[in-house]
Amino acid sequence: MEFTPEEGKVLSADCPTLLLPGLSIGNVGQLAVDLLISSIGADRVGFLDEPSLLPCVGNDAYGPEPGGVLALPLEAYDSPGHALTLIQQRSPVVRGMMIEFAKKLADFVSSTGKKHVIVLSSLDSGRMKQIAASSEMQVYYVSSVNNDGTDDDCESLGFKRLEEYEPTQRRWSYLNELAEGNPVQGDDLDFEDELGHDDYYPGLPFAALFACCKAKGLKVTCLLCYCSEGDNIADSFQLAGAACKLLKLTPDRFLGHVQGEWNIPLSWKTVYGPPPDSSLF
Amino acid sequence: MEDVLTESPPPSRFFQEDLDNFAAPPPPLPPPILVLHPNPSPDHLRPTLLLVALSAPSLAVLHRIPHKTLIGTLILPEIPLAGNSLEPSPRDRSCYIYAVARPAPAVLVAVQCPVASERARAVAKSLLGGIQAEKVLILDSIRSQNFRGRLAVDETLVFKLETVEERRYGQRLVEGVDYLPSGSMMDGLGAAILGECQMRKAKGTLMATWPDNGRPIVVPIIRSLLQRLNFDMDGSDGAKEMVAAFTSSSRYDSDLYT
Repeated sequence: MEFTPEEGKVLSADCPTLLLPGLSIGNVGQLAVDLLISSIGADRVGFLDEPSLLPCVGNDAYGPEPGGVLALPLEAYDSPGHALTLIQQRSPVVRGMMIEFAKKLADFVSSTGKKHVIVLSSLDSGRMKQIAASSEMQVYYVSSVNNDGTDDDCESLGFKRLEEYEPTQRRWSYLNELAEGNPVQGDDLDFEDELGHDDYYPGLPFAALFACCKAKGLKVTCLLCYCSEGDNIADSFQLAGAACKLLKLTPDRFLGHVQGEWNIPLSWKTVYGPPPDSSLF
Repeated sequence: MEDVLTESPPPSRFFQEDLDNFAAPPPPLPPPILVLHPNPSPDHLRPTLLLVALSAPSLAVLHRIPHKTLIGTLILPEIPLAGNSLEPSPRDRSCYIYAVARPAPAVLVAVQCPVASERARAVAKSLLGGIQAEKVLILDSIRSQNFRGRLAVDETLVFKLETVEERRYGQRLVEGVDYLPSGSMMDGLGAAILGECQMRKAKGTLMATWPDNGRPIVVPIIRSLLQRLNFDMDGSDGAKEMVAAFTSSSRYDSDLYT
């Protein structure tokens, strides 16, 4: 994975925390990162070139006007005032290459001296064992601070540890072995076995990022929310808000085009396509 | 009418296996092979312009450019050559590379075979690694699943995207064309080539047109652009080549017909 800086720019040494999305249902992690980049006024500092990413290009996603600034699949943004680097991923990883992608990303993050990685992602609400009685969305987390995935900081913020994170479960264990580069037998994980409920979580991209960053000795926190496919803007606000809580970042410190509040990215105007053709009715 | 149960999800949505860490990786493929004339002229390796035609209308126009010389081909080992003719033909499943003198030397690439998204980056690297032009122009088409505005079949649309260097330095290759609206995207080989241009800090432009097939209503737009870039154009509207290009385009790739 090669980093190409924008002209005259470098990755700031004053940003010990890195935030990035884990691809997931509803693209919630990516939407949340879009919202944060737009709202805190982060500045693009470069691109990451990675063969396992599918290619895509587009116009500037943030605005306020679509000025033609080229958007690429994997971009790095810095906000030294908030001590935060953000990576936005716009295209999927080639099927079957997720672990390799996560390893390379972890290698890159480690090489830049980052200390804390925050992964934003979502989970299929159809997998929930129990529907939450509270209407307010519960944010779940997995942390590398303790072996069981707990973190007192996250607990104090009202986040709930993901119960399905079980390091000794076969797929979590296999993922950790792969992340640490330990030799694994081909039959260590029988892919023909029927997959159970607990097999879903370690198979998700956030889990690969978690395992690989943890294997590099980085502190990792995954923030997760359950959602369904549809209009996931509200989910992204919840997840971005949770990230801000963890970072102790409040909207009054936002430095986007409109300072002191959330800034909706320009690309969100058409994120779900044009409105229905009213001439049909 | 597309089957809503089996049609591909829009690019912002995933199949479950797309998100599976334990999915089997694709089988490894040999890298694309750029084959050029044994004694290439410096004008072929470092032309002022590299023009890559991906869309059916642009292929139709490219094939009507006179006085072009075949100088090579880009071979993708995974593309069967069965059915290709001995002499280069617009109906072949291949990537032919031509040189045109014009006032300043240009190299033209006619991509007449489907390139899988997973291979696009390797193809882009092979092409730009072997031919290092001052400017790169990619002629692609807008795909409905990637465009977030309205697309009417009887409406002509043209948009562009440029690298930072193309926007910043000197006169633009493509003038008078709006940028692709924010929120829409381009993927595949066109995106891979433009992305590779950006990584190399090269001057690159991608021009995307709509519609891609059927009546060649965007052909005059592409012809006009190439005339402004000092390419000779003959008087034909390229209808025959349009049919050939349409037939060989990725939209209708099928192993049943070779």
